[in-house]
Amino acid sequence: MNKIFIAAAAVVSSADLPAARLGPRFGRLDLQSRLALLAVASLKINFGGFARDRTGICLAASAGSLTTDFNFWQGRDSVGGPSPTLFAYTLPSSAAGEIAIHFGLTGPNLCFVGDDKNLLSEAADLIRRDEADGCLCVFCEVVSAEVAKIISSPPAATACALFLQRMNLETGVAISGSLHELQEFDRDMKSRCALISRTKSAG
Amino acid sequence: MQISTHELKSKIIEALKLQDITPEQIDDDAPLFGTGLGLDSIDALELVVLLEKDYGIVIKDIEEGRPAFRSVKTLAEFIAAKRPAA
Repeated sequence: MNKIFIAAAAVVSSADLPAARLGPRFGRLDLQSRLALLAVASLKINFGGFARDRTGICLAASAGSLTTDFNFWQGRDSVGGPSPTLFAYTLPSSAAGEIAIHFGLTGPNLCFVGDDKNLLSEAADLIRRDEADGCLCVFCEVVSAEVAKIISSPPAATACALFLQRMNLETGVAISGSLHELQEFDRDMKSRCALISRTKSAG
Repeated sequence: MQISTHELKSKIIEALKLQDITPEQIDDDAPLFGTGLGLDSIDALELVVLLEKDYGIVIKDIEEGRPAFRSVKTLAEFIAAKRPAA
């Protein structure tokens, strides 16, 4: 019998970025990609224990890439034009790509613009359909002060991540760390991540 | 007019937002792309913008600039040769 578990969860904000050490190219990433990558790195999962092509990524960005789009647009009048690097991040799926590159993951990859309500179910479906053995779920909320005024949304710079994993209860494949069974009612990924992270910290 | 390779390295580090790398760690003759500093095609575009912003050099044909991007030393020599007179 296969069940799906949350193997790890993490929540990060822009305040965590200065201490992050994820390689010399980390600084090149836009804010959303840096937060997403840091959230996944904070899970401390050894992906070496998984088939890289069987590990998926499901990412949702609450405001798409709007903050980076805005920053890119603001650079249009500068000498030499806007930053070419920034252009690469004017796609909401860029953060998922950076995660895949950093950890060498080549499994299925889904990206949503909007809330986190479908993330867990989509990731679980990937596993149930046997397209993946595990799946990273990442939810980014990045809204700069300028963009916040335009879209009437509060400014934000956070990301949360969790790792869903199939476990065969009959063979009892051992996994280190605490496991939280994914429930049908688990739709709010952000709250779930915060709860698991708090529990882990308290423990 | 010659330019300091140290200054150029500092500008490259700043423009490409390279973390935990100092000018002293970059060899003047080391390849910028692939091995060496490990830059990629997007970095190349960022360097083209840097040349225009900081040195007033416009590269319209990337093939023209290709030999210049071999190393910090070749880039410094290219800037010195192409930089508009003040």
